Amino acid sequence: MATDLAAAPILLELDDATWSKQIDRAAAWLGDALTVQEKFRKLAEDTAASLKEPHIKKYIQDIARHAAAHEELVRGLARAIGREPSGGRSLAGSVLAKGAELVADVVGLAGGARGNWKDLRQLLLASQDAMGAFAIAEQLGYALGLPKLSDPAFRAAAEKTRDHLVIQEFVLEMAPASILLHQDA
Amino acid sequence: MAVIATRTTREGLRKLPTTARPILDAADVLVPEGYAVEPVLAGLSFPCGMGFADDGSLFLLEGGSTWPTRPYMPARILRLDTASGGVSEVGVEVLGGPRGVSYRDGAIYVTVKGGYHAHVDKYDLKTNARTTIVDGLPSGGWHEPSDPMFGPDGLLYFGNGSVSQNGVSLPQGFTVDLAKHPEACDVPGQDVTLTGNNVWSRNPTTPFPFLTETGPFKPFGQRAQKGEVIRGRLKCSSGLWRCHPDGSGLELLAWGLRNPYGLAFSEAGELYATDNDYEEKGERAIAEDPDRIWHIRNAKSAHGSVRTPDWYGFPDLCGDGVPAWDETRRPRKGKPAEPLIADRPAWAGPAAFLEKPHTCECHMDFCRSDAFGHRGHVFLSQFGTYAPLNTPDPAALDRGFCVKRIDLATGENEPFVRNRQPGPASHHPGSGGIERPVDCKFHPDGRSLYVLDFGVTVVAPTHVVAYARTGALWRVTKL
Repeated sequence: MATDLAAAPILLELDDATWSKQIDRAAAWLGDALTVQEKFRKLAEDTAASLKEPHIKKYIQDIARHAAAHEELVRGLARAIGREPSGGRSLAGSVLAKGAELVADVVGLAGGARGNWKDLRQLLLASQDAMGAFAIAEQLGYALGLPKLSDPAFRAAAEKTRDHLVIQEFVLEMAPASILLHQDA
Repeated sequence: MAVIATRTTREGLRKLPTTARPILDAADVLVPEGYAVEPVLAGLSFPCGMGFADDGSLFLLEGGSTWPTRPYMPARILRLDTASGGVSEVGVEVLGGPRGVSYRDGAIYVTVKGGYHAHVDKYDLKTNARTTIVDGLPSGGWHEPSDPMFGPDGLLYFGNGSVSQNGVSLPQGFTVDLAKHPEACDVPGQDVTLTGNNVWSRNPTTPFPFLTETGPFKPFGQRAQKGEVIRGRLKCSSGLWRCHPDGSGLELLAWGLRNPYGLAFSEAGELYATDNDYEEKGERAIAEDPDRIWHIRNAKSAHGSVRTPDWYGFPDLCGDGVPAWDETRRPRKGKPAEPLIADRPAWAGPAAFLEKPHTCECHMDFCRSDAFGHRGHVFLSQFGTYAPLNTPDPAALDRGFCVKRIDLATGENEPFVRNRQPGPASHHPGSGGIERPVDCKFHPDGRSLYVLDFGVTVVAPTHVVAYARTGALWRVTKL
């Protein structure tokens, strides 16, 4: 039977049920991103506190401050798509950060490293994870046609990329001091 | 997989959940008196091309992207029954995605950008079984394959754009391309001797982006030597071919076509190809290169008789035949170009039609119907500019974003489908007009022109992003 396509246009996967299901899935990812970001922020705070070299300490303190802002931004992203940020994640983030610090000690010792460089290296790994979480949130925004999700995530991912380069640089700069000389950073 | 297609109302199109494009409203779109325009379908993800079957089925290709090529959305080939409104999935293509489609004798032929190589697939519509009939076309860089078009001789014609943007594989093609396809480069369609000019650029794939040198027809980071001969290949980049429907008898008709995205045969059997200008940015930047439509003269020759393909100018000449290093082509942004080919072949121009730079010519179709009017004229989708990313020229900021009607015999032309306000609808909050027309095809009944709208692409001086689910299909009907 012929149908007037113009009078009754077609929506392709934009119906309420399909849309709502995908928004729920995006919100679940933002919950994971929040946990990952909390872990990174806690690690950054703890690492900054343990550092002695004044320049590196200042850089990591700045990164910890950025991380706190990004953490708040994730909560805002969830609200922007009409969902509440997942509850009970903060504790999980802190526990994961503590776990990562323990892992850093074990891995560092096995590799002959000494001192707080091990925390810096663990921070680098957590930074990669957190940076990726924001970049993925940005992609979800593009995939859903939602600039209110992609735009803030893009800006945060850009800042996290710069911060990540800084952390990586200090990990590489200080590695010989920790591994060969057993010195603190 | 099942496709979830539901019906809505015109009011429903004013409150779409995609806030990048919350409204589709024909009232914001202008067409000439005596015609009406209507939105038909909303929610497509990065649609790049379409084609009709004789029965009115419309095949829609999703899964394009911007650069970097993310996010991937399923590169689906959808079938829309324009009589019933039913939508189904014919197949899903590989990364890179489908770009053009034509129907013939119970099958569709689809060109696919792919990874290192572009290819042509055939889908049997009874079984949806896919067969690759042509493979190995150089890709992995910037441009893509064209429509596949059947000529009056029953042969399949198709093109494939250049791998590099402006003649040398450079980071302006974005870091991810260099990382994914480090060996990708242009391939000439006939032997060429190089001038030895190379291009310095940073190498973003290394831990520190030190400068490196790259030559034409070379992977990134490899120098060219003066007097070096690069052998032409049948499967080149910037080429245009024909073959039998099973892929046999492949013959190169032309090369030096930078971005031959749209192909169309006139009723007289003449073949035309759209093509787009060089970018005015980066380490080999070229300004004021007109967009164009080429007449592919070799399409009239007997199959198998082309000994030397025609050359249309890439990578050394602009669309009007002016050398890329001419004083009039000096860039406002980026480093000026130098000659790359020492023994340039004879130029196959002039173009059949020249357009302002950065309108971005995409797919096109000739009108073959008196019922619609303008029989014999070509209708051309103009995607719209990437300014200010690809040129700092403020005059280019709202070029394109329309379907143009062109009489190639006289050059007379007009925007046939456009917004009330210049530029894409998303430049004007509250507007529900068109974004970026990427294809336009006439329905087999000869009464309506369908316009495929890629959706929202946001361009900044530093980057470009696109939003999925914002693609749309429009219909223009003669009253």
